[in-house]
Amino acid sequence: MLSDAEDEEKWLAEGIAGLQHNAFYMHRALDSNNIRDALKYSAQMLSELRTSKLSPHKYYELYMRSFDELRKLEMFFKEETKRGCSVIDLYELVQHAGNILPRLYLLCTVGSVYIKSKEAPAKDVLKDLVEMCRGIQHPVRGLFLRSYLAQISRDKLPDIGSEYEGDADSVVDAVEFVLQNFTEMNKLWVRMQHQGPVREKEKREKERSELRDLVGKNLHVLSQIEGVDLEMYKETVLPRVLEQVVNCKDELAQYYLMDCIIQVFPDEYHLQTLETLLGACPQLQPTVDIKTVLSRLMERLSNYAASSTEVLPEFLQVEAFAKLSNAIGKVIEAQVDMPIVGAISLYVSLLTFTLRVHSDRLDYVDQVLGACIKKLSGKAKLEDNKATKQIVALLSAPLEKYNDIVTALKLSNYPRVMDHLDTGTNKVMAVVIIQSIMKNTTAISTSDKVEALFELIKGLIKDMDGTPADELDDEDFKEEQNSVARLIHMLFNEDPEEMFKIICTVRRHILQGGPTRLPFTVPPLVFTTLKLVRRLQGQDGDVAGEEVPVTPKKIFQLLHQTIEALSSVPSPELALRLYLQCAEAANDCDLEPVAYEFFTQAFILYEEEIADSKAQVTAIHLIIGTLQRMNAFGVENRDTLTHKATGYSAKLLKKPDQCRAVYACSHLFWVDDQDGIKDGERVLLCLKRALRIANAAQQMANVTRGSSGPVTLFVEILNKYLYFFEKGNPQITSKAIKDLVELIMTEMQSDNTTSDPSADAFFASTLRYIQFQKQKGGAMGEKYEPINV
Amino acid sequence: MVLVLALGDLHIPHRSSDLPAKFKSMLVPGKIQHIICTGNLCIKEVHDYLKSLCPDMHVTRGEYDEDARYPETKTLTIGQFKLGLCHGHQVIPWGDLDSLAMLQRQLDVDILVTGHTHQFKAYKHEGGVVINPGSATGAYSSITYDVNPSFVLMDIDGLRVVVYVYELIDGEVKVDKIDFKKTATTHAAH
Amino acid sequence: MNYLIGAFKPPCNISITFADGRTRKQASIKKENGKTAMVPLFQSHENIVGEVSIEPTQGKKVEHNGVKIELLGQIELYFDRGNFYDFTSLVRELDVPGDIYETKRYPFEFSSVEMPYESYNGVNVRLRYILKVTISRNYVSNIVEYQDFWVRNYTPLPSINNSIKMEVGIEDCLHIEFEYNKSKYHLKDVIVGKIYFLLVRIKIKNMELEIRRRESTGSGPNTYVETETLAKFELMDGAPVRGESIPIRLFLSPYELTPTYRNINNKFSVKYYLNLVLVDEEDRRYFKQQEITMYRLLETS
Repeated sequence: MLSDAEDEEKWLAEGIAGLQHNAFYMHRALDSNNIRDALKYSAQMLSELRTSKLSPHKYYELYMRSFDELRKLEMFFKEETKRGCSVIDLYELVQHAGNILPRLYLLCTVGSVYIKSKEAPAKDVLKDLVEMCRGIQHPVRGLFLRSYLAQISRDKLPDIGSEYEGDADSVVDAVEFVLQNFTEMNKLWVRMQHQGPVREKEKREKERSELRDLVGKNLHVLSQIEGVDLEMYKETVLPRVLEQVVNCKDELAQYYLMDCIIQVFPDEYHLQTLETLLGACPQLQPTVDIKTVLSRLMERLSNYAASSTEVLPEFLQVEAFAKLSNAIGKVIEAQVDMPIVGAISLYVSLLTFTLRVHSDRLDYVDQVLGACIKKLSGKAKLEDNKATKQIVALLSAPLEKYNDIVTALKLSNYPRVMDHLDTGTNKVMAVVIIQSIMKNTTAISTSDKVEALFELIKGLIKDMDGTPADELDDEDFKEEQNSVARLIHMLFNEDPEEMFKIICTVRRHILQGGPTRLPFTVPPLVFTTLKLVRRLQGQDGDVAGEEVPVTPKKIFQLLHQTIEALSSVPSPELALRLYLQCAEAANDCDLEPVAYEFFTQAFILYEEEIADSKAQVTAIHLIIGTLQRMNAFGVENRDTLTHKATGYSAKLLKKPDQCRAVYACSHLFWVDDQDGIKDGERVLLCLKRALRIANAAQQMANVTRGSSGPVTLFVEILNKYLYFFEKGNPQITSKAIKDLVELIMTEMQSDNTTSDPSADAFFASTLRYIQFQKQKGGAMGEKYEPINV
Repeated sequence: MVLVLALGDLHIPHRSSDLPAKFKSMLVPGKIQHIICTGNLCIKEVHDYLKSLCPDMHVTRGEYDEDARYPETKTLTIGQFKLGLCHGHQVIPWGDLDSLAMLQRQLDVDILVTGHTHQFKAYKHEGGVVINPGSATGAYSSITYDVNPSFVLMDIDGLRVVVYVYELIDGEVKVDKIDFKKTATTHAAH
Repeated sequence: MNYLIGAFKPPCNISITFADGRTRKQASIKKENGKTAMVPLFQSHENIVGEVSIEPTQGKKVEHNGVKIELLGQIELYFDRGNFYDFTSLVRELDVPGDIYETKRYPFEFSSVEMPYESYNGVNVRLRYILKVTISRNYVSNIVEYQDFWVRNYTPLPSINNSIKMEVGIEDCLHIEFEYNKSKYHLKDVIVGKIYFLLVRIKIKNMELEIRRRESTGSGPNTYVETETLAKFELMDGAPVRGESIPIRLFLSPYELTPTYRNINNKFSVKYYLNLVLVDEEDRRYFKQQEITMYRLLETS
């Protein structure tokens, strides 16, 4: 048994063989000018095209071979007429053939010569040909025959300016001819689907799709006819084509032909006939993918609008937007089964068109969004993945166009569309909005706009109803919240008053975020606020204000409350850092009580909330580092705080940490600038205390051999000694340094000490430093002179 | 010739939304052999972004970094140079050169890279170099006012390192170049 | 055997020639043996003028009781072979009894001969015209010579020539309406028409137009009818849908047609029919036959 494909190959081969056989005899007859035999064999040759066994694809191959042979025959006919044979007689003679298909191929072939001979007006011959072709009702054979007719007639239409142009208005005949051939071909094409068994329908539709360009070619020819001006297109061509498109009631054909119309005719024709073209849309089959058709149309029109500013008035004149908008509404109404995604994607296309053509018309944009809401209203939140994607596209389009969320914020329907998104997509959209702001570095500059913006992205800001927090994907959640955090930096106004309002608005929103969000959103708010503080720093006090102006004090109050929210979350480590930042800022503003208060808060957190030893170490460094920089404190406050800080240091869990924190505390008593505190004794106390801790660590290390060498601690302390020695602390003597160096050397040589290459290197480089300082000469060299190592 | 990108204190998203676009367009994958980052990125997204520029990346921990796995200090050797990396909030007083010099001795490195102050610095010091690349985003700092975004590109070639400083001032990228030569005797003591 | 041949050789050659034999039109006739021959062509009321020439065989004389020439119109029915019905019989005496020694020529003329029927070679019937020269003799058989000629009669354009228009169908299955532009066609005419499909519920494969000739001979119970299909002309390929109209254009010139003959001398009729045949995919044939009248139009050229 042969498979279908093999069968077909066989049939094709047989067809080709038959064709070649008869073509051979036809050529012989042509060579000997035997017209009767030529006709006989050509008719037999063409009989191969009568087959029903081939798929369109294979049939096409046979057709093309016949086509080539017919070209030779046509040449012969032409020569015959030159030799005096009447073309009219020839035209009759070929009609004697008994089989219709060969007869009509021959008729078209002679017809071509007939038109060229100009013995009859082209229009008459064409009319006769197109009429006679009705005899072929078999879809595939008919399509190919008419395709042949279209092919041979292309250059012979009585178009304006053509050599075949007849008396007045003969272009009408040209158009009529092509329209008729188009209509018949389309009918045949549509009918193809009903041929053969139902079970092969799918295959047939595929084959049918392969033939579509045979039909579409006619529209292309129409578009090429010189005489088809706007007037004729409007009055004849388009209505007739659309009539056929609508009446054929076939999904495939309607989709293809609508698209074809849009692609082959000029943009300005479309613009001037929008009403007619769009009027056909609601009449199409409900299954036709009209949204793609309309999208393509709008895309073409958009490109047209973009091509030149001169055409824009045309768009206004024909009210393109209103018509498109209206048509889309009607299509959606007519296609009741259209899924919501289809409707929305239509609005996306319309919006894209609007943004490209009428970018100045925000009201249009809002109108499109409004229409979309109308479609969505009454429906629950969208579950359809594709539909929500389209809504995201819809909402993203204005952002991309205007590069500016501020414009989108003016669209009253914008947030209402967002309301129709499911929580997940709502968030995605909110992220898109934020990304747009980021990408375009749009500054959101008023608290009103900030309010509107946060209304848009509220899905990110707080828990929406019905979304259990535990369903949130951790990674996504982080990413979303980080984008909100980034966004906060885009909210800015030069005017401190307005900026403060913005900060209050943001604060109000983000404080609704709950424990999971605050650690993300509070820090950027705090730092934004601190930036404002710094701007006000210089002017404090000397503002000739009528109203109570924004003062750093007021802001610090707000900051205090904001960070407090964070410490209750709890995120104590973060809160502690922020308190310290505020303390330093308050210090810079010379607000001692405020700074003190922030420190107090930081200390409370340290004492009560920070339990992890490693976290403690970092916290202590930050506390000491910040405190070291404070200059606003009076003696009393300062003492209280430094006392606490050194206390904390000595209580750290691990000895080395204790040791390092304690020697760091030495800097709290010696600030190396003009007005800085310089309490040499307490520095020494710290360092000695550090030494004691190092010693204790050494003892412990001797017990538990192998733990990291505390010798390093001694070297570190040695370096601190050198530091204060160089700074001129009188309590630090060269002898003390010498003793310490010796101590370290002894330690290093001790049997109990495991060798520690990094400590060795550290010590070596410290000694090298001492050497370096000695050799420097000058005051420093002199100072180092007594230290012999 | 080896190109090393040094940067830090991005503080994204706490203090800044992103790296300046001009920096982003300069920093393209495939040009840089190593990244050293002093810390305070602060989030994974930024880490991933930097990693996309160059997979060989070394980070130390800043006090705001969410990733607790970053070490406090790190040393690495590139060519003839030994580099030390530390965020710097542990070195009190912050930004104090003498204290940083002590850290440099402790880590026993030729080049010490630290951050925290958000202020670009490059010092030749006892035959070594101390570099602070500043804040790549120009983030707010309690220590430094008017921070300009900056980063450092080190071109290490034999015993020579050329430090290029990229600073964004009023929307324009300004480049400075500092040349250091290592004396071959530095490590003679070993 | 030569002498035998010589012995039975007729004593003379008779030839019949027409006065305008060189210029007269001739008709190409298919003979019984299948060969075609050319014969002079006449029409009714023509003068048939000519000359009979009798040429005795070398050295012989022809004794006769008189020479005559007859013009005969005969109908020959094949099933009744041997019986000729002469519907026309005219005679001219050419010579009184006597002897012919040398070639002798006799002009003859039949003026304005009534030849109402056309010559016809059918399946069962033949209508022929002949000139018959008889040399009557005593004791021996007469010497006879025949000359066929052909008659065609021309008809003017009919004053009334209605189109044929008809709606036919099989209920709930197929309804068509067809139209032929005329009911009377001359032999070189073109049949132009249209078929409208009003209802199509069968799967049609194709459609043909046939030209059929029906020859009936005899009468009553002895009527013989012979039908031939002279043309099969495909009009349509494939299955039409409701509302389609299919054009007809059939040139008659390639086919060997005669005019319609109605009851010729009560002996035979020849009628023509157009048969429209639709074939469905199971090769069932649906047809409708319509008589058309054929006539011979006088060619003006």
